[in-house]
Amino acid sequence: MSDLEAYRAKAAAWCEAMVPEFGKAARKGLSVEEDLALGRRYQKAKFDAGFAGINWPTDLGGQGLGHLEKITFEGEEMKHGFPNVYFGISLGMPVPVLMQFGSDREFVRERVLNALKGEEIWCQLFSEPSGGTDLAGLRTRAETDGNGWKINGQKVWTSWAQYSDYGVIVVRTDPTVPKHKGLTYFWVDMKAPGVTVRPIKLAGGDSHVNEVFFDDVKVSDDHRMSPVGGGFAVAIATLMIERYVATDSAGFGPHLDLFIELAKDVQLNGKPAIEDGRIRQQIARNYAMRAGLDSINRRARLMMQAGMTPGPEGSLNKLVAVRSRQKLSELALDLQGNAAFAFDEHASPKDDWASSWINAPTGRIAGGSDETLLNTIAERILGLPQDHRPDKGIPFNQIPA
Amino acid sequence: MSILYDEGQDAIATESRRVLEARVNKDELLPLLETTGEYHHGFWTTAKEQGWTALALPETYGGLALGLVELGLIAHQAGRSLSGAPFLTSSFGAAKAIELYGTDAQKGRWLPGLASGEIIGAVAFAHGADALPLHPPVAFDGARLDGTAIGVTGGLAADIAVVFAEHGGAPVLALAELGPVERVAVPSFDNSRCIADLHFAAAPAEALVAGNLARDAALHILALQAVITAHEQTGGAEALMEIARDYAVTRKAFGQPIGAFQSIKHRIAELYGLVELARANCIHAAAREGQDDFVTAAAAARLSATDAYDSAARDCVQIHGGIGVTWEIGLHLHMRRARSLAIEQGSSLFWEDVLVDRLSGEAA
Repeated sequence: MSDLEAYRAKAAAWCEAMVPEFGKAARKGLSVEEDLALGRRYQKAKFDAGFAGINWPTDLGGQGLGHLEKITFEGEEMKHGFPNVYFGISLGMPVPVLMQFGSDREFVRERVLNALKGEEIWCQLFSEPSGGTDLAGLRTRAETDGNGWKINGQKVWTSWAQYSDYGVIVVRTDPTVPKHKGLTYFWVDMKAPGVTVRPIKLAGGDSHVNEVFFDDVKVSDDHRMSPVGGGFAVAIATLMIERYVATDSAGFGPHLDLFIELAKDVQLNGKPAIEDGRIRQQIARNYAMRAGLDSINRRARLMMQAGMTPGPEGSLNKLVAVRSRQKLSELALDLQGNAAFAFDEHASPKDDWASSWINAPTGRIAGGSDETLLNTIAERILGLPQDHRPDKGIPFNQIPA
Repeated sequence: MSILYDEGQDAIATESRRVLEARVNKDELLPLLETTGEYHHGFWTTAKEQGWTALALPETYGGLALGLVELGLIAHQAGRSLSGAPFLTSSFGAAKAIELYGTDAQKGRWLPGLASGEIIGAVAFAHGADALPLHPPVAFDGARLDGTAIGVTGGLAADIAVVFAEHGGAPVLALAELGPVERVAVPSFDNSRCIADLHFAAAPAEALVAGNLARDAALHILALQAVITAHEQTGGAEALMEIARDYAVTRKAFGQPIGAFQSIKHRIAELYGLVELARANCIHAAAREGQDDFVTAAAAARLSATDAYDSAARDCVQIHGGIGVTWEIGLHLHMRRARSLAIEQGSSLFWEDVLVDRLSGEAA
């Protein structure tokens, strides 16, 4: 057994042992607050067992292992539906960026440790009402205020802001230069005076995203994590972390096996639906697509193991998988006909077709919309021209509204 | 487990691409469309010279003892350059049937010639949409074949054919020399495929495998060929995606390259996705030869490669506008090939059923 396989076995065994306390059954019927409390206990257990911050430096509380160990653990972890969702953003982007760009190292160490133990949560304050994809077009501003800064404006779609202790934020510090050049990156205390968090109820019924308002929120200059005017580069660095996270060719929806089981169970025209050509075609097409993604992901892992950089085709996973999950979920509801009306808004999109269907649009928009991903493939991989951008090179305050 | 190509395999890809780009071009392929029964001799000579015909056959019989991965890499490049003859895949199928199911005498007689390329093989399994008919239209009486196998790719040029026939109500894979067999050329939309109807009339033939095993054997041969064809389709799709990209960055309309319009750039980005999914499935399937899930992997490769090539042909022509539909530009060579390859070795309709039977536990 290779070292990595041994690590996988260890991770799998630990995850199995956690199922009674933290698995799907243990979470059933909990309120969000109760589930978050359980999640904090799970995160602490993970930290104590040495599975938190797997590829982070040991002096910051991590395990000092590689990216492969991390995605190996995550591959095992995602099989069980543990309450880890509250820490995904926090430990995925803001905290690693803090490790990289935070100036007060003692403060950084304390925050990182608390985040790893599930005691503190960080959010990422990027998107605004005026735009998400067009990040550099953001309007929230910071003006100098004595030795520090004063922030005014609004962020939106901020995951878990209502439970966050801290956040990282990009703001405009100079509106007289072109949009990318007038941005600066800070961390903020989410409990500071002037910060107001308002949860947004999403179509599926849950409220993990928020609006966050900043009214004269004062931050000292040691909160600054980029040079003044150099915030865009740190924002991009934030988004580039974790390019190769554990992926799921089911698009974080139900596995194809569940669809096949459903097609065997229900009848169409007096015969099992699995015998219907329309259903068979969709199963076959979805299988071929998912098998392709699985093969891409396995090869990416092999390349990382061999010390190579995986190819750009890894960027296809989100685009292809979520889109097809959406359609397959619609078809699964069709297959159940009027038996599909019964709806449980607390069901998991991983094993419930209605939940998968109603939450699928979020997956196609958040973290890079389908259209943005297609643009990225076209421009970065295939060398096609950028879209026409009338705001290019124009000072921010002269861009026509 | 999906594989990473090693240095030797990378060299096969690079060298075959170099040779084919130097020796096959559309100006030589276009006239072949207007005559029936002609193939690109330069292509086939190259395949023989380079040892591609011997690549995946055993050393005992003059082969190089490599496998699907290596032959797949050649097929990918052949797909890019629009191979000028179908025999790499058809002879490979016939040779594998003889290697896996034939007697030592049959192997000794045919495999060396198939490995050198001096003998061309064909595979005659399908009847219409049915890639493996329940009742094949050719009958075998233990020594002779009777009946007609329609639309056999390579059939006009082949020396031997492996035929899926019926013997006393059970299937059989039979091997026949085509010398004495009447062959009627099928004028096709992709004429260099050398397609023929084979009219067997008491044609001498030998059984390779008979009874229940024959159907599984035929499916296995089809799956081996399908993986090679899938590589060829992926190569063709990749070439078309690049042609579309190159055109979109140079052709201008309304004062900018047409590739700056999202309707164009997204179309090409979608093709990239289809090509990479097909490539990934091809690599995986080639590496699964000999494993329990080989047919499943072959089916997935086949489905995604057909989708990629058809879509690339459709969209590449569309992106070119009027010039795309001219004879001279030759995009129709790919359009034609996308369809002939989609049908050879069973269409998507066939492979969808094969795949779902396996996924749902209906097939062993």
